[in-house]
Amino acid sequence: MSIISENAVYFIIAVAIIVILLVWSYVTGRMRKDFSTTTWVLIPVAIAINIAIGQIVVTLKLPVFLDSIGTVLVAVVAGPWAGALTGTLSNIIWGATIDPNAFPWFPVAFFIGLVSGLMANAGWFKNWWKVAVTGFVVALASAIVSTPIAVYLYGGITASGSSFITAYLLQTGQGVVQAVLSTGFLVEPVDKITTAMLAFAIIQGLSKRFVARLPRPENAEVEGGASQTQLFIAIGVVILLVLFAAFMLGNILGG
Amino acid sequence: MQERLSFYKKRESAVHRLNPLSKLTLALGIVFVSFLSPYYWTPHLLILFAVIPLSLLGKVLREYINAMLRLILPTAGFLFIMQALFQPLEGVELFRFGFLHPTQESVLFAFANATRIVVMVSSFTIFLLTTHPNELMTDLTRRGLPGQFAYVIISTLQIIPQMQAKAQTIIAAQRSRGLDTESTFFKRAGSLIPLVGPLVFGSLVEVEERAIAIEARGFTSTRVKTSLNSIPDTNKDKLIRWSLIVIIIVTLASRIWLS
Repeated sequence: MSIISENAVYFIIAVAIIVILLVWSYVTGRMRKDFSTTTWVLIPVAIAINIAIGQIVVTLKLPVFLDSIGTVLVAVVAGPWAGALTGTLSNIIWGATIDPNAFPWFPVAFFIGLVSGLMANAGWFKNWWKVAVTGFVVALASAIVSTPIAVYLYGGITASGSSFITAYLLQTGQGVVQAVLSTGFLVEPVDKITTAMLAFAIIQGLSKRFVARLPRPENAEVEGGASQTQLFIAIGVVILLVLFAAFMLGNILGG
Repeated sequence: MQERLSFYKKRESAVHRLNPLSKLTLALGIVFVSFLSPYYWTPHLLILFAVIPLSLLGKVLREYINAMLRLILPTAGFLFIMQALFQPLEGVELFRFGFLHPTQESVLFAFANATRIVVMVSSFTIFLLTTHPNELMTDLTRRGLPGQFAYVIISTLQIIPQMQAKAQTIIAAQRSRGLDTESTFFKRAGSLIPLVGPLVFGSLVEVEERAIAIEARGFTSTRVKTSLNSIPDTNKDKLIRWSLIVIIIVTLASRIWLS
């Protein structure tokens, strides 16, 4: 019982932080500016992009999901709340049209939008290596948020292919939470870093005139520097992040 | 390619005539009770005495069984097998095969868990089979949901089939000019950009025009808008909603005090 109450405290803290952020952006009027008519029109297109690209990836048989490119796109150009809304509705519509199993995972999509929007506001979406870091942070958030859903709703092992890793970790004597969390840390970064980089490539390809009409054009400005060099730095950063993730995994599993 | 993007089946039935909000409460109520109830057999009984009767009452039993076989049972079956084999619960060992040694406890746990997932997905499926998304959105907007949300949901449902058709066209066009979408991993990964690029840029171009078009129709106006279709909300609907809320609270209370 003590574990449950401890987790309930974390849950309440997380909700409180979100509410404070929400009230802050409402009071400062930033929210009203973010949800312009263009944003409201962009959201359905972004949801459709999520679903269409998700299906292209299935056609190409690639080992990633890439089902949140539209979410990250909206989060960067229209702020974290528009991103969070896109993610949430995206999952609800995925559940309502393709597979009802998608419903319970909407908080994960909410956080993908929110976190990538916050990172973009902080200026972490302006060149390749910063985008890689953003993707990594989004991956951590989504691994952490999906853990309680997997544990409480599905008893740890979910219906996705990565459950085999969780099952293996459970067999080696890990606790359920540790096993699910480390599976998330193993699987998510590849997917989310690729998502963030594709979203960045798309933003770079948009015309200046189009971006200027969106609520947060300043987030989409690309920092100078030869893009070749940038890309090499990005690859280096990804390798560093992978080493960091391995170190963290060791800590989780060891402790 | 799907013609219409929704599970909805048009029928004349008692469930179809219910107010959309009542049906939503019903679906969520079933989910909450099956997850919160402290008794082991609740989810199983819910399938027998709530989910199946509802699908009969709504005259969607055949569609429900179809969805069950296609979406629900594969997921639940996979869950059951994985959890029965790999949940490390102590107890009476059933058999030992290599490193696998499922116990009676882990099989029981897996059975309850898989049934709960079946209940959850089933109740959403029946809700979607008997409720048209437009009706739900009209009703929720009348109750105070901002019109923008209704716009997002409804227009997404319209855009997705168009987008899927566009994606198929782009894949066919790129293949015909020799893009490799089937060989080695790196070739397939490399062909992602020429497929995603045209799709995304092509659909973003329309955004600006559409924004101007709906702005001209008073999209951001805060005046109360009238609706062409009226959706009935009878006393029976209100009774159903309130009794469901009471049932959920009672289940939550029994969960807290009995476990």
